[in-house]
Amino acid sequence: MKKATGLFILTGLLVMGCGNRASAPGVSEDKILIGNVQDLSGPMKELGAVLPAGSNLYFRYVNENGGVHGRQIEMKVEDHQYNPQKAVAAAKKLIEKDQVFCLYQVIGTSPCEAIRPILAESGTPLVAPATQSGSMSDMSREAADLIFHTDTGYDKQTRILVDNILADNVNAKIGLIYQDDDYGENVLKGAAVAESSTGVAIQKEAYQRGATDFAGQVANLMKGGATHVIIAGVVKEPIIVMKTAAAMGYAPKFYGTSPTMDHRVSLAAGPAGEGFTSANFASLWNSDAVAAVLYRELCSKYEVPEAYMGMYHFYGFITAQVLVEGLERAGQYPTRERLVNGLETLNNWDGGAFPPITYSQTDHAGTESVILVEVKEGVQTVITDWID
Amino acid sequence: METFIGLIQESISGIALGSIYALIALGFTLIYKATEVVNFAQGELMMVGAYVNFYFVTTFMTQNGEPTVGIFLIAFAGSIIFAFVFGWVLDWVINRPLKDEPIFSVIMATISLSIILRALVAMIAGPMSLIPYSPFGNKILSINGIIISMLDLSIIISAIILVILFYYFFNKTKWGVAMQATSEDPVAAQLMGIPVKRVYGLVWIFSALVATISGILLAPRMSLLDTSMGFLGLKAFPAAVLGGFGSITGAIVGGIIMGVIETISMGTLSYHFGWIKEMNDIIVWIVLIAVLMVKPDGLFGEEKVKKV
Repeated sequence: MKKATGLFILTGLLVMGCGNRASAPGVSEDKILIGNVQDLSGPMKELGAVLPAGSNLYFRYVNENGGVHGRQIEMKVEDHQYNPQKAVAAAKKLIEKDQVFCLYQVIGTSPCEAIRPILAESGTPLVAPATQSGSMSDMSREAADLIFHTDTGYDKQTRILVDNILADNVNAKIGLIYQDDDYGENVLKGAAVAESSTGVAIQKEAYQRGATDFAGQVANLMKGGATHVIIAGVVKEPIIVMKTAAAMGYAPKFYGTSPTMDHRVSLAAGPAGEGFTSANFASLWNSDAVAAVLYRELCSKYEVPEAYMGMYHFYGFITAQVLVEGLERAGQYPTRERLVNGLETLNNWDGGAFPPITYSQTDHAGTESVILVEVKEGVQTVITDWID
Repeated sequence: METFIGLIQESISGIALGSIYALIALGFTLIYKATEVVNFAQGELMMVGAYVNFYFVTTFMTQNGEPTVGIFLIAFAGSIIFAFVFGWVLDWVINRPLKDEPIFSVIMATISLSIILRALVAMIAGPMSLIPYSPFGNKILSINGIIISMLDLSIIISAIILVILFYYFFNKTKWGVAMQATSEDPVAAQLMGIPVKRVYGLVWIFSALVATISGILLAPRMSLLDTSMGFLGLKAFPAAVLGGFGSITGAIVGGIIMGVIETISMGTLSYHFGWIKEMNDIIVWIVLIAVLMVKPDGLFGEEKVKKV
C-alpha cells in the first residue's frame, strides 16, 4: 500500500512539474534549434548566402541580449539547389535527424509546396517561407495551418500595381512580362482578378527562367501599344527588358513585382531604369523604419560586408524578427503547438519593417499591402504609403 | 510592314544571341573535332573567362578611375593570356592523364570540371552577382527604323571573324590538317610524325580562347555576371548537334538558327499565334528533332563510315 501511495505521489509530482514543460524537438535548457532550407549551390545560391546571413545577424543580436526565454537560437541550414525533391530530403533530415523545432525561411515556391506533406505529417511549423507566392497563405491547402506567410503575395502585388496604374491613367494600356512557372502562375492569378474587377485587358508575354533575350516580348508589347508594363521577373529580367526597350526607342512606364526591387536593377539598367517602380512588401533597408535603423546599426557593429547589405539580407533580418516574436509568444516552455498558437495572437503587430502583421486561426497571410518604390535620378525612392 | 520590321528587329537580336550559342558550340566543336570528346565544361570555361575579364577591368579601373577603351583593351589582352594558360593547364590536368582511357571517362571528367569550376569561382569571387562593364555602353545603331546595339553588333562581328580564322586554320594550315588527321586516327597520325599530344594541347587552348571571348561579349549582354552563366553551355549543345557535331560551319549556323527561333517564337509568332506561347520552351527541340529526322548528322555534319 505504501509503495502504491509513493508511486501515486511521484506520478502526481511529475505530472504537475511537467504540466507546462512538455518537451519539444529542438528545444533544450539553453538552446532552440531552427531548420532552414536554402538554395546554396543552385540557380539562387546568391540568396542562399545572403538570407541566412541576415537572419543570423538578428539571432546574434537576440542571443547576445539573453536569447528567447533564456535560450540561444541556433539555425541549421540545408541545401536544396532549388530542387523540390532535394527540398523534401533536406526538410526530412532537419525534422527527423536533426530534430529541429520548426522550419523557417525555406526558399522558393516549388520547394515550399513540395514539403507540405512532411510539415503535415510531423506537425512542424514553417515560419516566413521565402517566397511571395500567394499560395503560401491559401488556407485550403495541405499543412496551411502550420505555415505563416509574412509577405504580400505576387497575386495581390500584381492587382495593386494594375489598380495603381489605372488610378494614375485611366486610359493606360497595360502589358505584363511574366516567368513561365509557379511564380508567373501566381502573378497571372492577380492579373485575372484585376482584369475582372476593372474590365481592362492586359497583354501578357511569357519568358522561360534563365532567358537572356527579351527582344521578342518587348517588340510584342510595342506592337500592342502597351503604355505601362509590369515585369514579374527577378533581377536580370527587368534590366534586360528596360535596356532592350530603350534600345528600340520604346518608352513605356515600367513596373515590377517585389523581386525586382533589388537596388542593382537601377544600377545596372542606368538611364533605361529611370522611373522604374516596384512593389515591395517591406520598408527599405536604408529607410528610417525602426527595423532598418536597427539593421544598419547591427551591420556596422558586426562588420557585415557591404556586398551583403541590401534588400535580401534585410529580408532575412526582418523575417527573423517575426520568428523571434513567435518564439517569445510560445512561452517559457515552447512546443510546436504553442508556437502556432503564439503566432496566431499577432494582431497588427508592428516589427518596424513589414506592414502590421495579423494572424488568426483562419488567416495566415500576415500582410496584404505594399509600398511603391520609384527610381528617381538613380535612387530608389518610396512614393506611397502602405497600399492594398 | 510593322510585322516585317518587327521580324527583322527580332532576327537581328536572335542572330546576336545565336552568335553566342555559336561561339560556345564552336568550342564544343574544336575539342570534338580533334579528340572526339564532348567538353561539357565549355559553358564554365566561358564563365571563368568573363570573371577573369571583370577582374582585370576592375583592377585597372580602381587604379585609373573609370573604365576607358585602354583599360578594356588591356583587360582583353590579359584575359586572352589567361585563357591560353588555362587551356594549357586543362590539357595537362584533364586530357593527358585520360588520353588512352575510354571517351566516357573523359566526358565524366569534363562534367566534374564544370561543377568544380562553378564552385571555385563562387568561392573566390563570392556568391553575389557582379555588374559587368560594357565597352560600348548603351550605344545603338539605327538603320531605317531597325535598331541594333553596338554590343550585339560586336558579338556578331566577333563570331564572323572567329569562324573565318578557325575555318582557315583547320583547312589551310599544317597544324589544322594535323588536328583533323589526329581526329580521324590518332595512332596513324602519330606514326606519320604528328605530335599528337601537342595537337591536343593546342585544341584545349583554342577552346579556352573562344570560350573566354564569348564570355567577355556575353557578360554585358546578360547585365549581371554570376556562375549560372555556365549553364548557357547546355543551350548551345543542341545548336552544335543541329549544325552537325564536329563541323565549324555547322556550329555557327546551328547557333544562329537556335537564337533566331528562340527570339522570333517569343516575339512575332507568339503575337500572332497565341498557342506558340504555350510551347516556347520546346520549340527549339522540335526543330532539332525534325532536322535530325531528315539529316541524322545535322545540317553540316559529315557521315562517317568506320570499318569494323
